[in-house]
Amino acid sequence: MTRLSTKISSLTLVNPLVLASGILGNDGLLLARAAKAGFGAVTTKSMTLEPREGYDTPIIAFVESGLLNAVGLSNPGYRALPDILKEAREGGAPVIVSIAASTPGEFHIIASYAEEHGADAVELNLSCPHVKGHGLQIGQDPGYTYEIVKTVSSSVDIPVFIKVGITDSLMETVSRSLDAGADAIVAINTLKAMAIDVYAKKPILSNKYGGLSGPAIHPVATRVVYEIYREYSPPIIGVGGVMTWIDAVEFILAGASAVGIGTAVAFKGLSTAGEILQGIEKYLDSEGFSSIEDIIGYVHRR
Amino acid sequence: MTIGMTSLRYVRGFIDEVVTHGPGLKSLVINIDKLPVTVPGQFIMLWVPGYEEIPLSPSYHANGVIRLTIRERGPTTRKIHSMDVGEPVFLRGPYGTGFDLSRRARYLLVGGGYGAAPIIFAGHVLHKKGFESMYIEGVKSREYGLYTEEAGKLGMESMLVTEDGSSGYKGLVTEYVEKNIDGYDIVLGCGPEPMLNRLIEICLEHGVECQVSMERYIKCGVGICGSCILEGTGLLVCRDGPVFNARDLLEAGYEVGVDD
Ligand SMILES: Cc1cc2nc3c(=O)[nH]c(=O)nc-3n(C[C@H](O)[C@H](O)[C@H](O)COP(=O)(O)OP(=O)(O)OC[C@H]3O[C@@H](n4cnc5c(N)ncnc54)[C@H](O)[C@@H]3O)c2cc1C
Ligand SMILES: Cc1cc2nc3c(=O)[nH]c(=O)nc-3n(C[C@H](O)[C@H](O)[C@H](O)COP(=O)(O)O)c2cc1C
Ligand code: FES
Repeated sequence: MTRLSTKISSLTLVNPLVLASGILGNDGLLLARAAKAGFGAVTTKSMTLEPREGYDTPIIAFVESGLLNAVGLSNPGYRALPDILKEAREGGAPVIVSIAASTPGEFHIIASYAEEHGADAVELNLSCPHVKGHGLQIGQDPGYTYEIVKTVSSSVDIPVFIKVGITDSLMETVSRSLDAGADAIVAINTLKAMAIDVYAKKPILSNKYGGLSGPAIHPVATRVVYEIYREYSPPIIGVGGVMTWIDAVEFILAGASAVGIGTAVAFKGLSTAGEILQGIEKYLDSEGFSSIEDIIGYVHRR
Repeated sequence: MTIGMTSLRYVRGFIDEVVTHGPGLKSLVINIDKLPVTVPGQFIMLWVPGYEEIPLSPSYHANGVIRLTIRERGPTTRKIHSMDVGEPVFLRGPYGTGFDLSRRARYLLVGGGYGAAPIIFAGHVLHKKGFESMYIEGVKSREYGLYTEEAGKLGMESMLVTEDGSSGYKGLVTEYVEKNIDGYDIVLGCGPEPMLNRLIEICLEHGVECQVSMERYIKCGVGICGSCILEGTGLLVCRDGPVFNARDLLEAGYEVGVDD
């Protein structure tokens, strides 16, 4: 372990930055490129049983302090995983395969296939806010979540991460996921939102609704990371609006062992990883900490 | 490269003029003050509410006036072709890389079909700088010609190349380029991929620098959705391109000569 390295369950990352799901994650070479640009782990786009075209454009809309997306889970289908994984692993960082499905059986098929073809972990997307029959519609039912997580965690040996979003039953979903054998919690996904162009007098996204990401959701994500750590202290990947090293350190102090980055890639490109890592190192120096491990959940200490 | 906040929101513009060039080819001249200025080769996203938004490389942009040259292809471009003076359109951008026009050199400008759009724009900028350049446009037949006259009016040497010989040089634009490349330092190309592939080969053979504008399905335009990947290279057309130096493409594993 070096000073920037961190552990999430049985995975060791050379640094705590994770490329979040859905950002350039349909292509293995792009994932490898992200790893080489400095990400400690990379996540694929959420893979479904069948290929999905996704929604018509506009699929993104920029708003004050963030962006909305309604990509519509476009992905080549899970059978593309062998190629994606082979290329992505050339980047040298662990590859997390994100899965979007509707039933325990579907999650099981994709997770087993991902493990067989070299995934380092799977992430169950129980939180996409804008696709019917997927994501949040499942994640807000803690009982069904338990069933899905139990099925997957008893059928694969690699770590199983659960990606959660904002619902009234969030804490119960987390608790039932952990009961069912989840190895880490990824929090949070985007928030269901809408943007209207006042001159066009229409919602911008073709899907009308989209998921809000970026700086606008960072304080919400910080609160969620804080609460999950306070209640259960599982390994947490904090995601939501990380633009600078300060946002990343905030998550880690709140209890995250790693930090997911999505929207910042749109604003600043992949090189943002290197800048954030430099900032974290300087912070460790200036505040007299020897490693990331020393500050995980620091705000909870007395 | 960081994307400026001003490039992210839609800016409304109004159509000031519609130019019909030939079958399925029109230009819209749009008044739009607040759009940050485009470098030739960069693209904007154009949205007509109720339809999709699509990437377009302007054929001119200065002083609050942008010109878009559009080939009718599917539902969105068909809608755009039916629009009239005074109607609003919504633009965001500009995005991506433009042609490098910074060097005092002799430029050979090569456009194929609607790919002539950013090429004539480059011609305008080079002309303003007083740099030497020649404009070549390749089309099937004379009625599809776009900007050789405009280039001529700028005082540039120009040539229309038609496949059927109905005007200018008869043949493929790349054949004409191959015969006339000597004496030029930089080739700028935009057009169908087989044409670009051939241009790259010719430039390699003659030791001439080559910048090409590539096309893929652009959805987000800002480098997060992954839709515009150049297969096998890990490069994104919307962010690393659309204009690439041919050398960088080849280094990234792009294969010339594999046609779609
Ligand atoms: C960087 C760039 C600059 C371009 N500049 C111009 C230009 O100056 N003038 C011009 O006429 N055309 C240009 N195009 C192509 C133009 O964007 C497509 O012709 C247009 O999107 C077709 O839309 P449609 O709805 O009419 O057709 P559709 O029926 O939707 O599609 C017809 C075909 O167009 C292509 N296409 C559709 N949507 C897109 C998209 N979002 N991005 C890329 N290709 C798409 C696909 O290959 C499709 O098969 C450019 C494309 C790129 C990538
Ligand atoms: C364009 C885009 C596509 C996304 N696709 C997915 C996805 O397929 N699966 C998923 O779990 N999350 C997806 N997300 C959510 C991100 O992984 C992340 O949770 C969210 O954007 C918050 O982080 P950020 O503010 O750093 O972007 C997507 C986000 C964006 C912006
Ligand atoms: S169009 Fe989305 S990454 Fe290029």
